[in-house]
This record gives sequence, structure tokens and C-alpha cells, in this order.
Amino acid sequence: MEGFLPLQWAVFWWLVALPCLAVGVYQLNRVLSADREALPLLGVTGGFIFILSSLKLPSVTGSSSHPTGTGLSAIAFGPWITAVIGAIVLLFQALFLAHGGLSTLGANIVSMGVAGPLVGWGAYRVLRETRVSMFFTVFLACALTDLFTYIVTSLQLALAFPAEVGGFPSSFIVFLGIFAITQVPLAILEAVILVLVFRYIVQLRPGILIRLKIFPEEKILAVAGEG
Amino acid sequence: MLRKYRFEILAIVAILVFSALFLRMEGAEFAGTDTEGSARAAEISGIPGEEFRPLIAQWVPPGGEVESALFALQAAIGGICVGWVFGYWKGLKEKERETGGRKG
Repeated sequence: MEGFLPLQWAVFWWLVALPCLAVGVYQLNRVLSADREALPLLGVTGGFIFILSSLKLPSVTGSSSHPTGTGLSAIAFGPWITAVIGAIVLLFQALFLAHGGLSTLGANIVSMGVAGPLVGWGAYRVLRETRVSMFFTVFLACALTDLFTYIVTSLQLALAFPAEVGGFPSSFIVFLGIFAITQVPLAILEAVILVLVFRYIVQLRPGILIRLKIFPEEKILAVAGEG
Repeated sequence: MLRKYRFEILAIVAILVFSALFLRMEGAEFAGTDTEGSARAAEISGIPGEEFRPLIAQWVPPGGEVESALFALQAAIGGICVGWVFGYWKGLKEKERETGGRKG
């Protein structure tokens, strides 16, 4: 949707995105210097953002959309660091693929890098210490991250293009119908795949998940021993 | 066996169900939601779609083939990262097993 955001909104979303990126870069430095084993984990979670967001998948609405892949990173490193990796992917797509565009990059960083992951991360934080299974927590967090990314995209477009009749709410519903409904099956599929990836991480390298306190030690060790 | 591979099975089932959704959808074009969203934005604002211009000049890949190549490149970059790390972790695990050392 390059070029589709009026100047004032493009600037506004850049102003929201920049402080988030600043926090992300600061946190990234801190995490990586505190624990060298965090870098490979970042490689896997970030790698899946690259892979999944490159896929254009069809959906039940008869149109296509991208998964985001940001859920695992949101769980492992929180929304601010995820925003930094998301921004790198979005910059790649804006520069080379005419996907997103440079002026709207701020808005896209906010929806895919910040807002979606923030909601998924919130769900994960709530469920982390409860008796809800670790894998279901990951599933839910990843699906919500994906879905909310597109709900926020709809919100951004509705704010920029309120309908003449009915204003912002009616526009919001129209854009939700285009973006969010299409996204539901993709969000579920993405979340199932990321759960599988998460399980491989637990089996191969439970130590880093424990040290970064991503889940309580008992939960991780209970699954890590399964072989 | 079934329990050990439950997530693999779940992933395969999810992919199959997802694919099966489209068996009976003939005539759908599966255009990008961004194309559709753009059309709606143009409709709501009353400005024709072709008059929307990126605020910052935009390089556009010459043709769909080049575009899909670049998307594949993006996926490949991610795939290399993921494969490298899983290989590294697997190697570490083997080494720890040999030396009977600490669990990472």
C-alpha cells in the first residue's frame, strides 16, 4: 500500500515508531552483552520473521496476505526488540519489493513490529505463570500477534480515510473486513508452525530459555526431557 | 510415538486443512489484501487509485518474476539463519553429551 498514507499520518506513525525502535536497540544491546547465547535465539526467532513474512498466502476471503512471524520473537525478547527486527524486514521489503514503501514504513513498524507483538506478548505474560500449557500459550501469543498486526493496519487506514458517512468506525469495519478476516486462517497456521519451532528450541537448548526466564524452569524441564 | 510427534502431526494437519480450504474456491483471484485495501482507500477518499504516489520515490522491481525472486531471497536469508542456529545448537548438545558436561 505504498503511497497510501497522507503525509501527516506517515509522520505521526514515524514519531510513534522511533522511540519504540530506540528502546529496542537499547534492550538488544543489553540482552546480547549479558548472555552470548541470546544471539542464536535471536537468529532463530528473527529468521522466522524473514521466512514467514516473505510468504504470500491465499485465504478464505479470496485474497492473499502475509503471515508476520513476529510471535516467537515477541515471546522471547518482547515487543521492542521485535520492532527492531521487524523494521529490518520491512525496510528490505520497502527498498526492494515495493512493499510498504519508505514513508509508510513508520506505520508498518508500528503495526507489525510494535502493536501486534505487544498484544501477543501481553497474552504470553498473563499466561506464563498460570497452569495453561506452555505450548498453548505460545500458540495463542503467536496467533494474536499476527491478527492484531492487521487489526492495527485497519485502524491506521481507517484513521487516515474516515468514510464520508459513518466516519472512522464505518471505515474501520470496512478495512477490518479486508485485512483481519483474511488473516484469521493465516494466523492460526502461523501459530501452529511457530509452536513446532518453539518445541525444537526447548528440546535443543532449554538452558537459554531458562536463563532468559522465558517460562518457569519446571515447565521447560518437564518438556525438555521428552526426547 | 503419537505423543512424541504430536506437534509435527498437528502442523501437517493444519497445512492440509488450510490447503483443502481452497480446493473448491474457483474463480477467486487471491489478489493481495493491500491491493484491495488501496482500492477501498481510493474509493473512500474519492481520489482515483492511480493518483496516489509514494511520498518518497519508490524503486519497483521490474516485473513479477524479479519480485518473487526477491521474496525468495528474503525467505532464504531467514532459512540460513534458522538452519545455522539449529545446527550450532545440535553440535553443542552432542559435544556436551560426549564430555558428559553441563546442560546448556
